[in-house]
Amino acid sequence: MEENMNLTAERSLEIIRNSIERSQRAIAKNSGLPLMWWGICVMVFALIIEYLWKNHGGPAWNFLWFVMWVVGYIGNRVIDKKNETVPTTFVGKTIGHVWSTFGIFCGGIGLILGLIAGGVIPVKCIVPDTYINCLVYMNITSIISLCFGIASTIMGLVLQNRPIQVCGLVAGFGGFFAALYYPMHQMYVMAVVALIGLVIPGLIVHFQSKK
Amino acid sequence: MFKPLDPLLHSELRLAVMSLLIGAESAEFPYIKEQTGATAGNLSVQLDKLATAGYITVEKTFKGKRPCTLCSITPVGLKAFEEYVETLREYLNPSQ
Repeated sequence: MEENMNLTAERSLEIIRNSIERSQRAIAKNSGLPLMWWGICVMVFALIIEYLWKNHGGPAWNFLWFVMWVVGYIGNRVIDKKNETVPTTFVGKTIGHVWSTFGIFCGGIGLILGLIAGGVIPVKCIVPDTYINCLVYMNITSIISLCFGIASTIMGLVLQNRPIQVCGLVAGFGGFFAALYYPMHQMYVMAVVALIGLVIPGLIVHFQSKK
Repeated sequence: MFKPLDPLLHSELRLAVMSLLIGAESAEFPYIKEQTGATAGNLSVQLDKLATAGYITVEKTFKGKRPCTLCSITPVGLKAFEEYVETLREYLNPSQ
């Protein structure tokens, strides 16, 4: 781009529009790969846990979710290093914060329920004594699916992308009814939720930014 | 009577730089160079002009062990850009 002072108003607007569009594409492109990576991690681990749960023991294999966080984080760092450098923007930061918050809450819920199941935290911390005999059941797949849906929908709203918003709603509300399935088979629900809530939005962002 | 366009912004490269920075908190020199397709020397000169006018800040820092030049738009630059776009609108739609 050379120094040119004889710009028409149309050419000036074209430069502004092109620069803003290029910048938005570059930022969106960097968001696509981490989404796909985390989605694939959730899918693979959900299927591995389901297999091990069914054939080699019981629900204790759920501890592998914490291994997934470590694998996912390492992979995410590698992707970050390989991604081209893009400017810090409000949109990029908001997407990052939404998914970080999702990760913290899901990890926290998983840890709390795991500690309750292991008897470290008393059940009354989450179910008051009055209801302890009412067979109150907290289905973690439903809660995490809802969190997935909320995060994906917010991302779709921030990126002004209707298909991602739809993916978020389908993943969130679809997964919320996971309790219809036996706990072991809810891993399939989790894999489908990750596919709709993470992998497909990641693919949409990735390919739209390449146009 | 049309308002005159800000001569500092009415240049292809400087306008492209400002447009890139408008939606960003900050952007690194290589990113701006790649997006604008400008040479490093020319870009440095134009960034200096924008910085001297107070439209952008240029911060020399380090990313790990590598030197890194970070550019960001200032409130003065933001206002100048808004006025430039507003004037362009008047040129394109004189009746409004």
